[in-house]
Amino acid sequence: MKNVLVVDDSATMRRMVMASLRSIEAVAFQEAANGLEAIERLAIGSVNLVILDLNMPDMHGMEVVAFVRKHASFHHVPIIVLTTRSDDDSRSAALAAGATLYLNKPFNPATLAAIARRLLFVDAN
Amino acid sequence: MPTDSPSTDDGSSAFSEFLADYYIECDEHLATARRSILAIEPQLQQSSIDRSLLDELFRSFHSLKGLSAMVGFNEAEELAHQLENFLSAVRKGHVRLEVPGLETLVSGIGTLEQVIAARRDGEAVPDPSALVSSVSLLLADYAENSNTTAPTASASHSPVSLGEKEKVIAEKLRAGAKAWQVTFEPSPELVSRGIDVNFVRNKLLTLGELVHSEPLIDVAGHIVFAFVLVSNDERAPHKLQAEGLVCEAFLPRTATEILQATAVAPAAGDSESSTHLTPPNLVRVDLSRLDDLMRIVGELVLSRARLEDSFRRLNGVMPGGEMRMLQETNSAIERQLRDLREGVMRVRMVSVREVFARMRFVVRDLVRELGTQATLRFSGEDTQIDKYVVERIMDPLLHLVRNAVSHGLEPSDERIAAGKSAVGHIDLRARTTGETVIIEVEDDGRGIDAEAVLAQARARGLVAPQPAKVSDPILDVLCLPGFSTREQADRASGRGVGMDVVRTVVEEMGGMFSMETKQGQGTRFLIQLPLTLAITDALIVQVADQRFAVPQVAVREVLHSDSDRLTLMEKNELLHYHGGVIPLFRLAELFGVDGAKNDSFYTLVIGEGAQAVGLVVDRVLGLREVVVRPLTDRLVKVPGVAGATELGDGKVVLILDVSKLFRVTRQQVNSANPIVTSLAGGTSSLISQNVGAK
Repeated sequence: MKNVLVVDDSATMRRMVMASLRSIEAVAFQEAANGLEAIERLAIGSVNLVILDLNMPDMHGMEVVAFVRKHASFHHVPIIVLTTRSDDDSRSAALAAGATLYLNKPFNPATLAAIARRLLFVDAN
Repeated sequence: MPTDSPSTDDGSSAFSEFLADYYIECDEHLATARRSILAIEPQLQQSSIDRSLLDELFRSFHSLKGLSAMVGFNEAEELAHQLENFLSAVRKGHVRLEVPGLETLVSGIGTLEQVIAARRDGEAVPDPSALVSSVSLLLADYAENSNTTAPTASASHSPVSLGEKEKVIAEKLRAGAKAWQVTFEPSPELVSRGIDVNFVRNKLLTLGELVHSEPLIDVAGHIVFAFVLVSNDERAPHKLQAEGLVCEAFLPRTATEILQATAVAPAAGDSESSTHLTPPNLVRVDLSRLDDLMRIVGELVLSRARLEDSFRRLNGVMPGGEMRMLQETNSAIERQLRDLREGVMRVRMVSVREVFARMRFVVRDLVRELGTQATLRFSGEDTQIDKYVVERIMDPLLHLVRNAVSHGLEPSDERIAAGKSAVGHIDLRARTTGETVIIEVEDDGRGIDAEAVLAQARARGLVAPQPAKVSDPILDVLCLPGFSTREQADRASGRGVGMDVVRTVVEEMGGMFSMETKQGQGTRFLIQLPLTLAITDALIVQVADQRFAVPQVAVREVLHSDSDRLTLMEKNELLHYHGGVIPLFRLAELFGVDGAKNDSFYTLVIGEGAQAVGLVVDRVLGLREVVVRPLTDRLVKVPGVAGATELGDGKVVLILDVSKLFRVTRQQVNSANPIVTSLAGGTSSLISQNVGAK
């Protein structure tokens, strides 16, 4: 069983992401509504993939990426940054901070599922 | 591997199952945006605007944009995008937020709301292009001065600098508060018990202001969360240690050292205060599910009433000891049922804050339109009301507030001439007393000229030409369908509900609508509503062989009186009451129930002050919890009757609509007033038919 952590302050958006990944077999979801919660989930559980929004209260997604990459026990976890385009958020900055991939909302559910499957089952091995 | 999502085409259809969620979440973001705007407005004059407020407003637009894009709703996405762009420029300091910018944001939120509502209701989506171009105009200067379309990412979410936070903490310490550093190390065991970072954060927010929060990695490589709490609560550390949290006194200088030494991640989280904080641990529930729950509770109340009735019949048949035990269980169930009912009610409660915030927007728009000056003041925004009531009361309140601005308040020159402040005031107040919610809309304007109102009503043939002298007829005239002094413009712009609609809505919910006005000093409208609609406490009264339920909230006092304390004046019976007299009305006569006049009777005092009347009944049988079943059949629906209920013995009892009855009876004081045909004439045959049918 692989664990996917979906981090977004919008509950509707989290549900949309999870619905997109429904087709992937053997996946369990964890949710977090802000950056601190996301770090906690990572600290106490085994997370195999993070799907992360950037614009969140409490702790910006970019700070989550930076923190994850600095911590030995989960710095290898792939992170898909999934964010609504805005001139405040740049792809290059996210990738430089350590994000594995940068996708924009609105996203195509089939594309997201294909990418997630690959990161969970192919690239991981 | 593709690194970007392709089109929205199949994306939009794939997510159509989330449309209901989308509309709910849009509502939340729009409400948050309105709150932020209201908090930002007073800061326009200051040298800088609270960054966290701008961030929050930005996030609202950003979320609206993202969600709208997901469901393929392009107009809303574009609009939210423009607003977000503007705010982004403000946040970066490229554009200074001034009055025109704020006005654009306000009308932008309004347009966005209309666009989303139109889509939801399947109506034509309004054209947002005017707004889009006004945003472009605001950004024009910025675009000319800057060619960089993609500024560095770090600019937007760089954390609040340490110096800035230290300053905040130092200020609070000077003001007598204490600062604490709280650390929390999460573990699977704690989290499984519900003690997680959110729990800790919320706990801290109940104790004071959370100035700083960030994750850290300690020497052993464990993740801990560090918070800085500023609190006036001396017992804060004690309370935190009781929760198993490590709590130390925090001094600004050591703060610097700690934060610099552990600079693993940039500081997260801006300074937070409860005024702009997403409420934690919320569950969204469809209102109809709560309605179902309330209905079930209502049925339980009825079943218990039947049980009660059976007990009464068992009395004397069953051995005393066993009867007592059963009675004890029965009263325990009664208590628990009441708790359950209150619990369900509490779940349905929302604060009137959002409603009030909306009024501020209405006033802003009107003031701009009319060129008058007005400030809106609130009190009791945290008053909780049933969600259903809040939704129903929105339009009536809008009408009263618009009315106050456009008709109530005088132009500034007139005000100054009358020795008042140039700026008019409108007060919006909410409070609860017992089972009732009271909402007031008061202005300090010119007041209502009773003579002018009557003259106009006569001119329109709405009331008879002869002069009428009654205690409170002006509101009745104002509430006549078709009466309006200057409302044509409102109606033309599609916003108008008349005063008649205000009264109708209030009374349909079992409430009372009243008014006080003083010429030259202002007008106060008062709406009294029951806290909840489905179940209410009622006095069961008897007249001849008929029983009626009178909602307890409407009854001021119950008096036991004898005929010799009555004074007969012309044809009216008067009762001495608190040093004065009140007119009496016999329920038997109002409903055409036959019955001899008893020498000893009960009077329910209804209404306040000079407007109080007494309703005479033969007996008061007791106070009962009744489940209100509205009368939907048009033939049975008559003024003066709010609904029906069952008392447990299987018989149906009518629930009186006291405010309507109260008005009708008051009008009978002045029989020359022909505004409303008397209730007695209109309904007696119907009631007696009902009675006969049983």
